Amino acid sequence: MTVPTEHLLILAGILFTIGVAGFFLRRNLIVVLMSIELMLNAANVTFIAGSRQHSTAGDLNLDGPIFAIFVIAVAAVEAAVGLALVIALFRRRQLVMLDQVNELSG
Amino acid sequence: MANALFYILSVGAILAAAGVIASRNPVMSVLSLLGSFFCIAVIYLLAGFQFLAAIQILVYAGAIMVLFLFVVMLLNLGDPEGEAAREPMFHHGRRAFLAMGTSVAILVAGLVAVLNTSFPAIDPAVAETGNDPVGQLAIAMFGRYSLPFEAASVLLLATTVGIMVLAKRQRTPRTQGERA
Repeated sequence: MTVPTEHLLILAGILFTIGVAGFFLRRNLIVVLMSIELMLNAANVTFIAGSRQHSTAGDLNLDGPIFAIFVIAVAAVEAAVGLALVIALFRRRQLVMLDQVNELSG
Repeated sequence: MANALFYILSVGAILAAAGVIASRNPVMSVLSLLGSFFCIAVIYLLAGFQFLAAIQILVYAGAIMVLFLFVVMLLNLGDPEGEAAREPMFHHGRRAFLAMGTSVAILVAGLVAVLNTSFPAIDPAVAETGNDPVGQLAIAMFGRYSLPFEAASVLLLATTVGIMVLAKRQRTPRTQGERA
């Protein structure tokens, strides 16, 4: 496809902002974790756009896909730890709403 | 043709992402996120990153989404008649909307910056075939990027240990203060 880099970056920006909106506005902890996944995906789209922009036929730029693979690995780790915390919290307090978890607030 | 498909998939990814944060039922959120990931995977494919598209489907759609769905089902959060269904979905504090307004302002600033930048044209050979040869990717991953690769493996090991500690049932009897 011959889509210009700008349009990939705009897509990534919109996806990231939707993720930020979910992160700040939703109360359900699981949906907040999903919003983080959305933001990481937007970052991956940006890496792809950059890698595509900087490649020439003789000299391929592989930094984008490699960083995207690392981001996916970190996203998997983050989802696993986050969901383990959700389960631990639910086992202890029977809740998943973020603003009800206020033991540490002064 | 491929360009038209890109725009259709972009709209699909954005609508599915909006569905993640707009739906009350967490199961619907997970399925919307799955749809968004599939659209993004096909965009990778169109851009010529075949291996990354496969990884996206296998790891994101295959593993991470199953994990989310498993937790939603385990905690029985998808129950539309449950107590959680009657609670408000969103924070309604002033700080939440302040944060939201700030991030939308940053998005607008970024869009203005992107639209005012003139990118040089993409090499037509790259635009058609992409730049994701698996062999070269493997050479780079185990050569130039071997240190981050090892760091990722240490991260995975640490996560495994951490999750086992978190998930272990507490065998010691609970004290009174903990119960309250």
